[in-house]
Amino acid sequence: MHPIWRHLRALCLAMILGVLTPSGAFAHAQLLSSMPATNAVLEVAPAVVELAFNEPVTAFAVTLIGPDGSRADLLERTTSGQTLVVALPADLGQGTHVLSYRVVSLDSHPVPGTLVFSVGAASGEPAAATVAADRLVGSALWLTRTLLYLALFFGVGGAVFGALTSVPDAARRLSLALAVAGLGLVPLHLGLHGLDVIGSDIAGLLEPRPWTAALATSLGPSSWLWLAAFALAILAWLRLPVLAWVALALAALALALSGHAGAAAPQWLTRISVFLHGVGLLFWLGALPPLLLHLARPGPGTAVALAAFSRFVPVAIAPLFLSGLVLAVVQLGLPGPAWISAYGLILAAKLGLMVLLFGLALWNRLVLTAPALAGDVKPRRRLALSIRAELVIVLLVLGLVAGWRFTPPPRALAERPAIADSSPLLLHLMAGNDMAMATLFPPRPGPVTLDIALSDAEGVPVPAQAVTAHLSSSKLGIEPITLPATDLGGAWRVENLQVPLSGDWRLELEIRKSRFELVRLATEFQLP
Amino acid sequence: MIRTLVRAAVAVATLAVVAPAFAHATLEVQQARIGASYKAVLRVPHGCGAEATHTVRVQIPEGFFAVKPMPKAGWDLEIVTGPYANAYENHGTQVTEGVKELIWKNGNLPNEHYDEFVFRGTFAGTLEPGVFYFPAVQECANGEEAWIDVTGNPDVDGPAPKLELVKNEAGHGH
Repeated sequence: MHPIWRHLRALCLAMILGVLTPSGAFAHAQLLSSMPATNAVLEVAPAVVELAFNEPVTAFAVTLIGPDGSRADLLERTTSGQTLVVALPADLGQGTHVLSYRVVSLDSHPVPGTLVFSVGAASGEPAAATVAADRLVGSALWLTRTLLYLALFFGVGGAVFGALTSVPDAARRLSLALAVAGLGLVPLHLGLHGLDVIGSDIAGLLEPRPWTAALATSLGPSSWLWLAAFALAILAWLRLPVLAWVALALAALALALSGHAGAAAPQWLTRISVFLHGVGLLFWLGALPPLLLHLARPGPGTAVALAAFSRFVPVAIAPLFLSGLVLAVVQLGLPGPAWISAYGLILAAKLGLMVLLFGLALWNRLVLTAPALAGDVKPRRRLALSIRAELVIVLLVLGLVAGWRFTPPPRALAERPAIADSSPLLLHLMAGNDMAMATLFPPRPGPVTLDIALSDAEGVPVPAQAVTAHLSSSKLGIEPITLPATDLGGAWRVENLQVPLSGDWRLELEIRKSRFELVRLATEFQLP
Repeated sequence: MIRTLVRAAVAVATLAVVAPAFAHATLEVQQARIGASYKAVLRVPHGCGAEATHTVRVQIPEGFFAVKPMPKAGWDLEIVTGPYANAYENHGTQVTEGVKELIWKNGNLPNEHYDEFVFRGTFAGTLEPGVFYFPAVQECANGEEAWIDVTGNPDVDGPAPKLELVKNEAGHGH
């Protein structure tokens, strides 16, 4: 059939229906059911959402808000009618999705609503759950991060030592190889970080989503800086040794820009500390493999290299030690229960190893270096042994530091309301002689429980027949999410209320005090 | 064909938007005089969602006295009475109690049908000009439709049927 005829036929049918339908029979539309159901947790992303109304409706706004806060206008993909059919995008990610809609029924009464459903699991669960969800991504991320650190310290750090003094060929080749490997490790690390952020599995690396998500985090700028640092380190080895110092600065800057410690307040202090920490580490650790190789096969450059190391290493270690101390106190607070957290234990293990390392370095510097410089064989052998031990300890420390990636510092736990001992969000709603105290827990995006106590203005509890909660956010463009409260005998509770995002929200309580008495109380609040 | 039907439905929707809508339960006459009698015709346009209504309840607020409902074929009529907060004068007698709620029950109003429920009474002369609400509730087998919102916000679900009370310039009237 020609399209025009199809349109005409529809129009004729419409006119007949329009004549036959008494307009008085139409009411504001009511949502009868939805597919998926409210708060459903689906294993596989649905292809469509169906909203069944008690009468034909026309959609005029349909927005899908993803777990990452991204929004997509789906009005073009929506078929109106008695059942609204919304074709969803194919690349629906894991987490909680919010379909916010506004339809108009035959009486021109706009009916707003929001359907919340989750794919895989609801967003806003503790971060540990998502890490555990894909161990492969977690392990790969840990391994890549450890290798990236190795490449930074021995690649970039090695280039710095190479710029300072002569190094054996083997050390030069090792450093150069690590710097080249670093160019590949940086994007791999970024992609894995993205997978971890969006909670996807390893196959997700082929999609753009984890990459864009990771670039948006603090790791994005750091990754660019690391790439530049590796490229400069390679250039330093091949052509211009002085570029190694620029590479050192960029690599340390990248460390300061990303990671837990750099994000702690006061930022000027922590960022500078992390930067100095990075510079010190890069220099010190980068010198170890060349020194070891020197000592293994002493040559004409050995004494020069040892002298250079012993001259510069205090300059590197003093800020390293000081900045490490500052960071430990900022992250953990003064010694207390926080020091026993997973983060604290890793830090304690790291500090223990560092004390050992500093001890060796001190022995190295004060006892062994001078006789070794003088050319004694025994101190040289001991020095080689000490450096070997230092390298093993460094590997252990790097492994531990990479493990930090998965343990939020106690500072963050105290700030983040995600943890069980955080206090609920208190909301006070009042109008006329009616009052409601509501508590929202946990006060973060994800599934929350809303407890409601109703009273008069004096605080004397009052009964009600029914309580309905409407949660909406005009700023986020989310139409009311409506859930009934259950009577707990005097108190009311809304369980499994999915608040998809942080931001400014409006809570309206519709309280049916008696058959003919309805009270609406509203308040605005901010969800951290 | 489904596509055609859907388009037709959308078209109907567009047409119906233009037509005057009777979405809510409303009163036929939306203005009354203070101190005068008033015949209330409550228009019920539909059931609860898709269900048929079997009971219609209307609250008689303070200030509307001497109330008499009109019986309705197919419906049982029940009148709930109680004391008034204030006393009202009705042709020389003090009225201190009377109808508080009217209930038409055991009836059947399918969602596809429309019906009217009628009662009359007198607005007390002590009332102030302004909006006067008659909260009403439709009850169905598995739910209800409550027209009890008195916030005056036109966008809420279930606004209570209302009328505008004006001063009685003709003096005492019936």
